[in-house]
Amino acid sequence: MAHTSARQPHHPLWTRAFHGFNLVVLLVMAASGLQIYNANPVFGGRGGAVVPELFTLGGWLAGGRDWHFGFMGLYALNLGLWLALLVQRRRRRLGELGDLTALKASASAPRRRLSAHRIVYTLMLIVLAFSLISGLAMYKPAQFWWLTSLFALAEPLGVTSWQMLRVSHLATIPAMVLLVLAHVVLSWRVGGLRLLRAMTL
Amino acid sequence: MNRRQLLGLGLGGSSSLFLGGCALNGLSAAVGDATQPLNERIEALLQGQGKVPEFRPDKVEPAALLVNSFNGVPRLDPERYRLQVKGLVGRPLSLDLGALAALPQHTCVMRHVCVEGWAAVVAWSGVRLADVLRLAQLSPLGGYLLIDSADSYFESWDLASALHPQTLLATHMNGAPLPAANGAPVRLTAPIKLGYKQSKWVTGLRVTAQLGERRGTWEDQGYEWFAGL
Ligand code: HEM
Ligand code: HEM
Repeated sequence: MAHTSARQPHHPLWTRAFHGFNLVVLLVMAASGLQIYNANPVFGGRGGAVVPELFTLGGWLAGGRDWHFGFMGLYALNLGLWLALLVQRRRRRLGELGDLTALKASASAPRRRLSAHRIVYTLMLIVLAFSLISGLAMYKPAQFWWLTSLFALAEPLGVTSWQMLRVSHLATIPAMVLLVLAHVVLSWRVGGLRLLRAMTL
Repeated sequence: MNRRQLLGLGLGGSSSLFLGGCALNGLSAAVGDATQPLNERIEALLQGQGKVPEFRPDKVEPAALLVNSFNGVPRLDPERYRLQVKGLVGRPLSLDLGALAALPQHTCVMRHVCVEGWAAVVAWSGVRLADVLRLAQLSPLGGYLLIDSADSYFESWDLASALHPQTLLATHMNGAPLPAANGAPVRLTAPIKLGYKQSKWVTGLRVTAQLGERRGTWEDQGYEWFAGL
């Protein structure tokens, strides 16, 4: 009995389900997005460097669009519901300004790690919500012109709103790669395998 | 969506975790077939009847407009050019360029968005497609418009999009006569559709009640049909 009592209780099923499904759908969105990228690279245009086929999904532009727009609904629904439930029921688990203070001022290393981790996974949720907004602005630039025009802020610098949109939508991928790495390392240091088990099956 | 497709979706999603995507490419068309009907319905609902905002004329980006063609650039003799309007119309038409120039002229400064990802602000001028269709006494039984081009490019549109006030049969681009590479003498333009819907070198319009087997040069290869913006 002694060793089982050391087992961490599971996180609620719903957050584990949203967490896992988000990861799967996100991979589909990223790989099919990179396929779309290759039809006309954001950097360099025609003749610009393309992403290796290994990281793409769809086989060609139309196939990439099949996956990207086929899964966008699932992705948005999953993320939206998860966010709503997290804010409502698990707000104390999300990062907040107090975490920034703790990061700077706390003398306890575990406390600082916990704060850093809360900030990292909360930032991921924000980045993902942003990918949805920038994606929508490019999917429907005529109907959602008000959304698209939000990205005109760099126009005085000669960056069109369209280019701004493409760059910021694409930036989801490098931003998420860095954040996921940090998230995995931090969650490992915070709770190791037990925490990973508690968050998965 | 039947059970098989659903299973395909589930397997497709989860196995990409391990396969990096490459083994799933064969499923792309099935994913499209399962999800496009709903997406297209939502797109059609989102698309209003009214105009979408336009750009200021000084915002045009002539250098950003790339030229795509699947079959070279046909050179049409402006003297012998005729636009045929047929099908479910009360009065079939054969219009020369003079007849088009006699109709009310409109300009639309819009963002031309290519499916490849690039976009360019362009000022297109010409007549409203709706004016031409009304001149031909469009039948209320019509549901779709088939568009034939001189280079044998083919397109089909829903009539609601064809009748949109910013859907033009353009004869001018950025204030000058349409260049041959951009579709001279007459091309289709609209701010509410992706570039591949906007046929160049348009020679024939046919109104039909139903869509046939062929839905468009690129659509028949696997691209989305509605392609709204
Ligand atoms: C793709 C992106 C990911 C996002 C957006 C994400 C987001 C999150 C969020 C928001 C939480 C907090 C959930 C809650 O407390 O209800 C969380 C927890 C957790 N995640 Fe992720 N995650 C991602 C990927 C991963 C990966 C790849 C792993 C592991 C290999 C992982 C392992 C964990 C663990 C162990 C926890 C529990 C942490 C704790 O409660 O302190 N996550 N994740
Ligand atoms: C609901 C969510 C999303 C929507 C509506 C959406 C929509 C779009 C659209 C319309 C494009 C084509 C842009 C163009 O023509 O240049 C695109 C491209 C792309 N998307 Fe998404 N997207 C979404 C989520 C995501 C996510 C989560 C990722 C990454 C993790 C992603 C990565 C990409 C990439 C890399 C491209 C290629 C960039 C380009 O060539 O401009 N998308 N997306």
